[in-house]
Amino acid sequence: MMIKRYLPVLVLGVSLLAGCATGPGGPVYVPSGQAPADAPPPPETDTNREPERASEQSAPEQEATRPKPHHQAESESLSPAAASLVNKADALLANGDTRAAISQLERAQRISPRAGKVYFKLAEAYYADNRLGAAEQFTLKGLSLAGSSTDLQRTGWSLLADIRRAGGNVAGAQKAEARAQAL
Amino acid sequence: MRRMKKSAPKRRSNGKSNKKRPASGKSGFRSALWRICWRLGLVGIVLLAGWTVYLDAVVTSRFEGRRWEVPSRVYARPLELYDGAAVTAAGLSNELSQLGYGKVRSATDRGSYSRAGRRFEIHTRGFRFPDGQEPDRRIRFEIAGDRVTGFRVTSGPQASVVRLDPEQIGGIYPAHKEDRVLIQLDDMPEHFEAALLATEDRDFYDHWGVAPLSIMRALWVNLQAGRVVQGGSTLTQQLVKNLYLTRDQTLLRKGNEALMSLLLELHYDKPEILETYLNEVYLGQAGTRSIHGFGLASQFYFGEPFNDLDLHEVALLVAIIKGPSYYDPRRHPERVLKRRNLIINMLADNGQVSLKEANKARQKPLDVVSKPSYSNARYPAYLDLVRRHLAREYRDEDLQSEGLRIFTTLDPGIQYTTETAVERTLTQLERGSKADFKLEAATVVTSRDSGEVLALVGGRDPKFAGFNRAVDARRPIGSLIKPFIYLTALSHPDRYTLITPIKDEPFSLVFDDGRRWEPQNYDRESHGLVPLHQALAKSYNLATVRVGLDVGVDAVIDNLQKLGVGEPVQSYPSMLLGSVNLSPVDVASIYQGLATSGFNTPLRTIREVTDADGESLTRYGLAVDQVVDPAAVHLVQYAMQEVMREGTGRSAYRYLPEELGLAGKTGTTNDGRDSWFAGFSGDLVTVAWVGRDDNGPTALTGATGALPVWSNVMSQIPQYGFSPIVPADVQYHWVNSEEQALTNENCSEARFVPFITGSEPTDTVNCSGDFTQRLRGWFEGIF
Repeated sequence: MMIKRYLPVLVLGVSLLAGCATGPGGPVYVPSGQAPADAPPPPETDTNREPERASEQSAPEQEATRPKPHHQAESESLSPAAASLVNKADALLANGDTRAAISQLERAQRISPRAGKVYFKLAEAYYADNRLGAAEQFTLKGLSLAGSSTDLQRTGWSLLADIRRAGGNVAGAQKAEARAQAL
Repeated sequence: MRRMKKSAPKRRSNGKSNKKRPASGKSGFRSALWRICWRLGLVGIVLLAGWTVYLDAVVTSRFEGRRWEVPSRVYARPLELYDGAAVTAAGLSNELSQLGYGKVRSATDRGSYSRAGRRFEIHTRGFRFPDGQEPDRRIRFEIAGDRVTGFRVTSGPQASVVRLDPEQIGGIYPAHKEDRVLIQLDDMPEHFEAALLATEDRDFYDHWGVAPLSIMRALWVNLQAGRVVQGGSTLTQQLVKNLYLTRDQTLLRKGNEALMSLLLELHYDKPEILETYLNEVYLGQAGTRSIHGFGLASQFYFGEPFNDLDLHEVALLVAIIKGPSYYDPRRHPERVLKRRNLIINMLADNGQVSLKEANKARQKPLDVVSKPSYSNARYPAYLDLVRRHLAREYRDEDLQSEGLRIFTTLDPGIQYTTETAVERTLTQLERGSKADFKLEAATVVTSRDSGEVLALVGGRDPKFAGFNRAVDARRPIGSLIKPFIYLTALSHPDRYTLITPIKDEPFSLVFDDGRRWEPQNYDRESHGLVPLHQALAKSYNLATVRVGLDVGVDAVIDNLQKLGVGEPVQSYPSMLLGSVNLSPVDVASIYQGLATSGFNTPLRTIREVTDADGESLTRYGLAVDQVVDPAAVHLVQYAMQEVMREGTGRSAYRYLPEELGLAGKTGTTNDGRDSWFAGFSGDLVTVAWVGRDDNGPTALTGATGALPVWSNVMSQIPQYGFSPIVPADVQYHWVNSEEQALTNENCSEARFVPFITGSEPTDTVNCSGDFTQRLRGWFEGIF
């Protein structure tokens, strides 16, 4: 009985752990490590020698202190510089100049390549240009970067529903709509 | 007989007249001579008239029909500056220097910059990009921790992001190798016309193409100066010589030159002739490429647009006209300095510049950029790839003559870093070795999310325009194949998770024809049951082949092709150990998909091609295509990060900071013939190959050959670490891999591992290894 009582708590604990799966942190900006001259030499190998059948790995090193693999749940936001280009693209798009808008959005993408929003904007521009295949793919890319942001996910799924409907894929649109509504 | 009879009287009659001639006297002789001269003269006039008509046709048809064959220009990516931009101070200084920006105290002029420690002020030049004109601006910012901070525009239109003009990295030239940048009369900088006419053709606006007085005057000036200061040919004559004639110094050519000059002047007005001259005149040589026209010459000598030149630069260009080789400012700086100052003096004497201006200009150095501002020899491997991409849509003749502008994705800073890292690491690898062979290498660096090729090194000598290993060296990829095998397996969460135990034990396959295949581990040892993530991190062959055979070779090939392998792959079990031949660029292409949650992102070297007027012809925009399950890719990314932390790639952190998240995979083929490393950070996908051109053995593995090259490259580029976003249908759990069970975070064996939802273990084990969940289930069964 007691165990049954604690079961939901255990399950909740496990799901909370999963929910907090942010690993050792988001992407870290790392300045260039060293001047070329400071680079350590590679391990010495006698390139004339017959290759040893020892191990493909170099000798084990201390790994206890090594950070574990990274991952993150939070999506990244647009940098102010990228946001200014997105604004420019919005204005161009409002004037019907989709080609110029896409150019500006690609500049923004180079500045904030991991921000889901920039891909949704690209999807909108391709949608406006009636290139629905590309629009759908950029939406999927944006969704892959939406992380735990409900807003971004809703934007993405709703956009996908519109794009699919415009392309005549009613079933796909309904599926996407359902995902948006479930959030 | 008859003929003889007939001819005899004629001879006689001739004899008679001959006898009479002395008697007729001098007047008869004169009149005969006159008649001959008259006839000859008449014939001469007719011939001359005919010749003139012919020359006239030549002059007009070729002048009017003249279409400059303007080579295509290839540009690097423009450097974008904004708050947060990843730039090193050294890299920026280097880029500005390559662009020909002068370092000054205060950046008042376009194309100049000042630097005080970390603080920069740049007066950008402005440039016409395919998406519009980027105006010139003055900007200020600091560089701290390899990032731009405090960015602001102090003059010019406000903007949060400013682009510098892009570096020209090459051109695509016609067979005759004439290179030019077309200019118009409006582009002439101040004092240029005065300097040109004072030196080359004082009476340009008054003569009819030929100026005998000018010849006399030049003779006089030259005699006075004791050397040749002025030429006697008019600009029109010089143009005619360049356009239509050979360089032979014959009387006939001189005559033609004069005649054609007159005809040219008859048909065309002075501005037309002058503009053509400005674009035609030969002004230097860069290897086989000849530099024509002032537009290109100002780029070639000063790295600046023609209309930005100052008096001392204007005078230098005019000084060179007389003999581009004799007055080559890079080879004979003192000689040309004297002539430059002579021209400045001449302008001052004529009152065309003030004495003060002249004095100031004379004090200035030549200001010639040390190297030509661009040369095709600088990035031959990259340009080779650009040309291959262009060849899909453009004809050679159009590329060579239409003056197209090709905007590429090359990042000159990363290219330089990659080139030096390759050469330095190979030298270190060879140091102390008695090897009688030379190691070679190829490296590709791409932008992770856009697929733009940022740098390409085709060999250890980056200036060598021969075999491009990055594109053409198709070698077996060895263990680089393994992530794709595990990707295929992990796409079946009902069968495989990262902790699924895999048998790493010997086995043999017997084919229908009786042949046996017995794969082995690199260390020829087996490791018993190992969790899947470890089999990949440690690159165990036996475990991998078992998994590959279980999911099917064809399924693995299918994934490879979805991710960008264009050519057919033989469906043999040995492909599971990497007997697939790919080039470093091909590898970068398929690793792009692993780095970006299963999106096939075609590699691009070109962003856009425009015509000479800046009108867009072709855009090569960003394209993405989700081809494999992002959840399965996330799991593979986890194991590839483990490669770097605990597996075959861990030595990378000898070079790289611990906090930089990385994922990658080593690859080694039999006898160390190929040493590979492919991996990525948050921003970059980089692939390195090291081996021998003769495909001979080396003692290298992926970890000791290619990985040092890779790490050296990555360690010098400021970037974001790799930290993938968890897909919606993936959840992380603390597990004990060995026990295949969930466990407590604090247990020593606990590992935080991603699972596709529903595939996580159901059992729970405590730190001492007891199965609490199983016990609980048992208890629950009882009650």
